[in-house]
Amino acid sequence: MEAIKNALDFSDFTRFDRTIAALVGLFLISFPLFSHSNFALATLIQFLMFSVYGMGWNTIGGYGGQVDLGKAQYVGIGAYTTAVLLIRWDIPFWFSMPLGMALAVGWSFILGYPLFRLKGHYFAIATIATSLVLKDIFEVWNFVGAARGLEISPIKYAPPDFFRLIFKEDVYYYYLILGFFFIGLFYMNWFRKSRLGFQLRSIKDNEEVARSLGIDVHWAKIKTYAVATAFVSAVGSFHACYIKNIEPEDTMSLDISVLIALMAMLGGAGSLWGPIIGAAILIPLKSYLKEWLGASAGLVGIDLIIYSAIIMAVAAFEPRGIWGIVEKVRLKRRKYP
Amino acid sequence: MEILLSAIVSGLLLGMVLAIVALGLTIIFGVMDMVNFAHGEYLMIGMYAGLLIAQVTGLDPLFSIPAAALFGFLLGLLCYYGLAKYLLRGPMVAQLLGTFGLMLFLRNLALLLMGSEDRAVNKGILVGKSFEIGMGVVLPATKLAAAFLSVAAFLAIWLLMNRSKIGRALTATALNAEGARYMGIRTERMNALAWGLGGATATIAGALLVNFWSVNPFAGLLFTMIAFTIVALGGFGSVPGAFLAGLVVGIITEFPGIWDFFTYTFHIKWMEQVPMTSFKYTLVYLVYFLIMVLRPRGLFGWKQ
Repeated sequence: MEAIKNALDFSDFTRFDRTIAALVGLFLISFPLFSHSNFALATLIQFLMFSVYGMGWNTIGGYGGQVDLGKAQYVGIGAYTTAVLLIRWDIPFWFSMPLGMALAVGWSFILGYPLFRLKGHYFAIATIATSLVLKDIFEVWNFVGAARGLEISPIKYAPPDFFRLIFKEDVYYYYLILGFFFIGLFYMNWFRKSRLGFQLRSIKDNEEVARSLGIDVHWAKIKTYAVATAFVSAVGSFHACYIKNIEPEDTMSLDISVLIALMAMLGGAGSLWGPIIGAAILIPLKSYLKEWLGASAGLVGIDLIIYSAIIMAVAAFEPRGIWGIVEKVRLKRRKYP
Repeated sequence: MEILLSAIVSGLLLGMVLAIVALGLTIIFGVMDMVNFAHGEYLMIGMYAGLLIAQVTGLDPLFSIPAAALFGFLLGLLCYYGLAKYLLRGPMVAQLLGTFGLMLFLRNLALLLMGSEDRAVNKGILVGKSFEIGMGVVLPATKLAAAFLSVAAFLAIWLLMNRSKIGRALTATALNAEGARYMGIRTERMNALAWGLGGATATIAGALLVNFWSVNPFAGLLFTMIAFTIVALGGFGSVPGAFLAGLVVGIITEFPGIWDFFTYTFHIKWMEQVPMTSFKYTLVYLVYFLIMVLRPRGLFGWKQ
């Protein structure tokens, strides 16, 4: 009970912040009632998916300060578990998602043990390497469809199917991922105030001091990595049912890992709203730029050029991300010394 | 036996070019403790530069190396003064984010300007020629020239770093930036020089590679990872280490040939089942991971 109470308690934010958060929440819940295009709804689903990915990344990367650039492998594990189980043995989503999470968490323990002996850059590059190795294996593994990937055909499983999560309309997917989003948000709110959350922040500030205070640094990092993995893998499973066609190239590529990390870093790593703000800016920007400039004007790649320019500007001038800018402005207004 | 020998020889030749790819990365890392994820993108730009110069002037791509090197040096300086200088003030997260942004930027700029199709050099003095040195080993002239020129460039940069005043200032900055600043070395300029050298070596490698490697805007990532592996193997910041590690990684990339040799010499059934050519670069990543875990300083590392 205490944990649930903690998770729902946002009282350490200012009233202004809570009002805005509530309005955004209301908007997200009521959005499908307004008239909208399919494209807008698809963009919002993407936004919610990447917010949850970003929240997962934020536990280890934001609070813990360990820049992980290999999250795509867990997206892949989640997505492939769901797709393979559904196609081969007709096991529905609600069973395969926890199983995928268990597999991903198991794999994250195996990887986490050696990985967390590394620090800084070495850790970041090693996570990329592990992710690429797994992707290469999936690309030649016939059981999971090799490079062609897997397709969940909506003809075989007639929509709507609530157990296997096959729908015709995106609205159902929207509400499901919105549910994930709120669960993730409440969990993160609990996490940042939990014992592990405080341990991680002290590790980020100074690992030696944290160790001298009796924190098992290595184990704390591995545990948090597992939490981050569970988040990412769950959304990966959802991704498989939503997209219905998964390939190693678009679920496990480095771009996905980078995008996940960038979301959180752009919004503000290590803050509750950071990943959400980052996803809210980048995902619509990316998909609309792609739609307008890439598809209609025929300028391939211009969306990513503009988007990477924004990333570079943020990294160079405000490394704490957009939330860092907000806090700075507030401090100035309050005339603190 | 022929398969084994030619795999090793061609691995060594490629390794010499890969060594120079990693050289720039290790200089930047050694001098300013910063990783540059856009390194492979410099190489990709070098490949396009070699290709375009060859197509416009009709000369062999090998003659475009000085121009490519100059271009790469300027590009490195531009990236330093435009981006890296600001990133250095921030935490490590910002450096990773910023150089990743640079990587995406350069890659998509190339995509916008050049299109996504593969391009390759199809005429030149050396293209298509080869030497046979006995034992069934055939050396393509392009690879031989690339290896030779890359060793020459490597030696030139090694001399620059170890025998010249500016090189000693660079090394001093790498060893202790603060101390170097007290001694009157302008460390800011040394950082810029490191980035310039990083860009120049990568574009030289690109212009060498374009002779026998097709280029597209996405070619950079592979070389970034290979360069990281070499730098990890040779030790972050170590120049001779980069050369030796380059040779080792070159042989690893030719491992499918060695695998085939054992498969067909000893007729081992299960080895035939493994599609080793698909795991060509997987092995490189795996080696990186193992080295990082077993010996994080690298085999020849001197910088903690």
